[in-house]
Amino acid sequence: MNYGSLLAGILVLYLAGAFAALICPRNVRLGNTLSQSFSSMASLLGIYLSGSLLLQGPTRGLVYSHVLNVPNITITVTIDSLSAFFLLALSILTLAVSIYSRGYLSHYYHQRNVGLFNLLYNFFILTMISVMTSGNIIFFLISWEMMSLLSYFLVVFEGESRENQRAGLIYLIMTHIGTAFLVIAFMLLYQTTHSFDQSQLHLWVDSPVKNWIFIFLLVGFGTKAGVIPFHVWLPYAHPAAPSNVSALMSGIMIKTAVYGLMRFVLPMITPGYEWWGLAVLLIGTASTFLGVAYALMEHDIKRLLAYHSIENIGIIFIGLGLSFYARAAGNQTLCALSLAASLFHLLNHTVFKGALFLGAGSVHYATRTKDLEKLGGLMKKMPYTGFFILIASLAISAIPPFNGFVSEWLTYQALFANLSSHSTASQLLSIVAVAMLAMAGAMAAYCFVKLLGVAFLGLPRSRQAAEAQEVPGSMKTGMGVLVMLCLVLGVFPRPVWVMLDAVTRSLLGQSIMNGAQGGFFYIYFPLETTVSALSPLMVLLAGILLFVAVGLLVKLLGGKFGQRRYGTWDCGFDGLNARMQYSATGFTKPLRIVFRGLYRPTRELRIEEGASRYYPESTTYLVTTRSVFEEYIYAPLISAFTKLARKTRFIIQTGSIHDYLIYIFLTVVALLLYNGFNN
Amino acid sequence: MQNVLYIPVQLAVMLLLAPLVNGIIKKIKAVSQKRKGPPVLQLYYDFYKLMKKGTVVSETSSWIFRAAPYIYFTAILTAALFVPVTTVLAPFSVTGDMILAVYLLALARFFMALAGLDTGSTFGGMGSSREMMISALLEPSLLVSLFIVGLIAGSTSLYEIMKFSVLSGITILQPVYFLIFLALWIVLIAETARIPVDDPSTHLELTMVHEAMLLEYSGRQLVLMELGAALKQLIFITLLANVFIPTDIFVQGRGFLVTVILSLGFYFVKVVGIACVTAVIEINTVKLRLFSVPNLAALSFAFAFLGFVQYFVIGR
Repeated sequence: MNYGSLLAGILVLYLAGAFAALICPRNVRLGNTLSQSFSSMASLLGIYLSGSLLLQGPTRGLVYSHVLNVPNITITVTIDSLSAFFLLALSILTLAVSIYSRGYLSHYYHQRNVGLFNLLYNFFILTMISVMTSGNIIFFLISWEMMSLLSYFLVVFEGESRENQRAGLIYLIMTHIGTAFLVIAFMLLYQTTHSFDQSQLHLWVDSPVKNWIFIFLLVGFGTKAGVIPFHVWLPYAHPAAPSNVSALMSGIMIKTAVYGLMRFVLPMITPGYEWWGLAVLLIGTASTFLGVAYALMEHDIKRLLAYHSIENIGIIFIGLGLSFYARAAGNQTLCALSLAASLFHLLNHTVFKGALFLGAGSVHYATRTKDLEKLGGLMKKMPYTGFFILIASLAISAIPPFNGFVSEWLTYQALFANLSSHSTASQLLSIVAVAMLAMAGAMAAYCFVKLLGVAFLGLPRSRQAAEAQEVPGSMKTGMGVLVMLCLVLGVFPRPVWVMLDAVTRSLLGQSIMNGAQGGFFYIYFPLETTVSALSPLMVLLAGILLFVAVGLLVKLLGGKFGQRRYGTWDCGFDGLNARMQYSATGFTKPLRIVFRGLYRPTRELRIEEGASRYYPESTTYLVTTRSVFEEYIYAPLISAFTKLARKTRFIIQTGSIHDYLIYIFLTVVALLLYNGFNN
Repeated sequence: MQNVLYIPVQLAVMLLLAPLVNGIIKKIKAVSQKRKGPPVLQLYYDFYKLMKKGTVVSETSSWIFRAAPYIYFTAILTAALFVPVTTVLAPFSVTGDMILAVYLLALARFFMALAGLDTGSTFGGMGSSREMMISALLEPSLLVSLFIVGLIAGSTSLYEIMKFSVLSGITILQPVYFLIFLALWIVLIAETARIPVDDPSTHLELTMVHEAMLLEYSGRQLVLMELGAALKQLIFITLLANVFIPTDIFVQGRGFLVTVILSLGFYFVKVVGIACVTAVIEINTVKLRLFSVPNLAALSFAFAFLGFVQYFVIGR
């Protein structure tokens, strides 16, 4: 089939999904089912389209181009290998999320307008696709802006509460600051190249503004990606949004920024611009560590996951920075390897973070709370959700045999290769990145032991948790698809590697295949770099064999006494209760003390005494940690800005319409004069 | 022939030797305190006895508590496959490296910490929390150390690193290796729950880390947990023994079987030696406060980082 018509099919299906609710305005349930089925089908088509494009080798195919009567704007849709890879990640995620949403949205029935939600949802996906496939900068910006606005409406969909509105506002402001930087960057770019065509990017000349263009692009895209220090919106927006939207936003929307950096910055790197890569590497390293460090202190499941997005975007940025650096330094092999590592982690993060956000949504659906301190013992009540979150947690903590490990392994390999480069700065940064990556991995494990241990194991801490029930089938299926992929991508990384080879060949002209070639069907081949090899399948098989052997041996050697169930040792008090367990706050206390310089925790212990000192009526213990970035960077900025605004109100913006008319008139005159003198 | 022998030899040596290390350390400690102490083989007897006993499982716990010992033990055993006890036998095929081994140990730790929380007991949560903190603090110096020895050898596979060491003489005498050796020794002490980080011989509520997580285990599940921990300790000791004190250069040029036996003999001597030194350190130090552990971790990282600087500025 023609790829153009496939893409048209995807477009039509998403549009059908958007307007499906209109078919049956009275039956909300049917409308929702129809809508989500359409978007699931569209996702399947998307997987087919991007998968087959990637497997047939590098492409740079023009699909559709429409020249408008407006200068500089053409609606150009192109899918090259890079776009196809992002489209693949998007389609995998939207497939799972759409299946999940059928059940998840049922708690909105007759409370909120589900039809409106589906309209926004499908258009949101469409605008992300158009961001990934646009071939013209103006068209890219329009799609980008629409994507941001639609996601804003989705973030504030759930309620009119102050908190929700505030989260939406922060997101809206941050994303527009980012877009403003992008607009400046693209205008500077147009000044030098006189073209808005994305395929002309490699022609960018060496000019003094090139560094500025990079900085503006980095700030603009970095804001959307949520890297430190532009991350402030993420921990607000994700918890406020419905969980399926959080999965989409964290799973793929923030990745469009990585797409932008790869699309716009990579082609214009030439020798002499090594510092670009090092800057990205530094930002990535900082985000990796600080993201997970803040995540540890969060007890709202979705905020915790939002901070983990910052960590993982950091890991993606480590790979990206290395590839920028290597390209400037002229090391094509390393450039391709680190770009592939970065993209592989991007796909993996889409998969496991999607699963985790959907899992968080399931917990919220079943218990009506996102607060870890109110959960507990869910593993018995919700065995499927518990198992899925367990697997996704292992994947995000980079534990084999799941997918997170494979891409972190590749990132380590890229860092290892860079350690033998010839620049002290990059070697030093690489070894620091290794240390931070190692620490982030262990801290992520810490954080997810906390999440699982507090929410799913032990005794329930509240009535909601004790009465929780497993979520409906469609939600389980949605999570199951992603969790299965966590294992499949972790054990059979080869097909993805083949696809990534197409990407690096089309983008850089450099293959990442090393050692054994083989096509798609040699999926059991190991991943190989020049210094090492990893065959997750062999390791898994060895592990399974040993597991069985250990089991048999224990059975054989073990005595004939069976297993007895008995209460946990309660130190001789009468009975264990939920309050004796470690809480999430207590669990992370050691690290809060170790990194007190970072967290600046404040403690407050309030005891209400009753009849006797020794039998207090109630005890409240409150720990708060502070965000250094919000306090020391954003708060001064905001107060300076409000001060400025207050001043301009008296001087320029007086509110008198006559003044404004004068301003417009003077501006027009000035422009006319400027043009007159220039010609 | 070589490849076929690798796995059985590796697993047999590791499994048989692991409990002995603990026995030796206990014996030396006892002698230093003018006690007679348990027999060196006591841990083997304990395992045999525990194996024959029934198990008690907490009513609060879920399947994770029952599965954890098997996953813990298997993960460590799989990791042991990638840390060769001898370089004269080539591994069956290069399918994994040091990064894999480190993260397999992380898998084991993850399940042990979950099991600690599963019973709903305060002790379990306390142990898990502390264990995860200690590992988070030491992971950087572990991986940075391994990366530097890997960088010198030009590979991330431990087998290749050890083979490179064999060709470079007694590597511990070179400054870079010596610094990394110190860094890794601290990691060994902390990761295997020894004094001064954790005291393996007490069940004192306020100080335990590792033991707190195992408190609810009994019977064969306890055997798997304890043997797994001993195995993990031996993995670290093997790393120190074969990367920093390579001896396989002395056994080359003889018949195949003689080479293997001699190489394993040297390995045995090195392990016993490292166990003795560990015991001496334990005798002469006291347990640190939990919040002094970060200082120890920082010291370890400082050694590793100095090693890095040394390598790049002066060479090894």
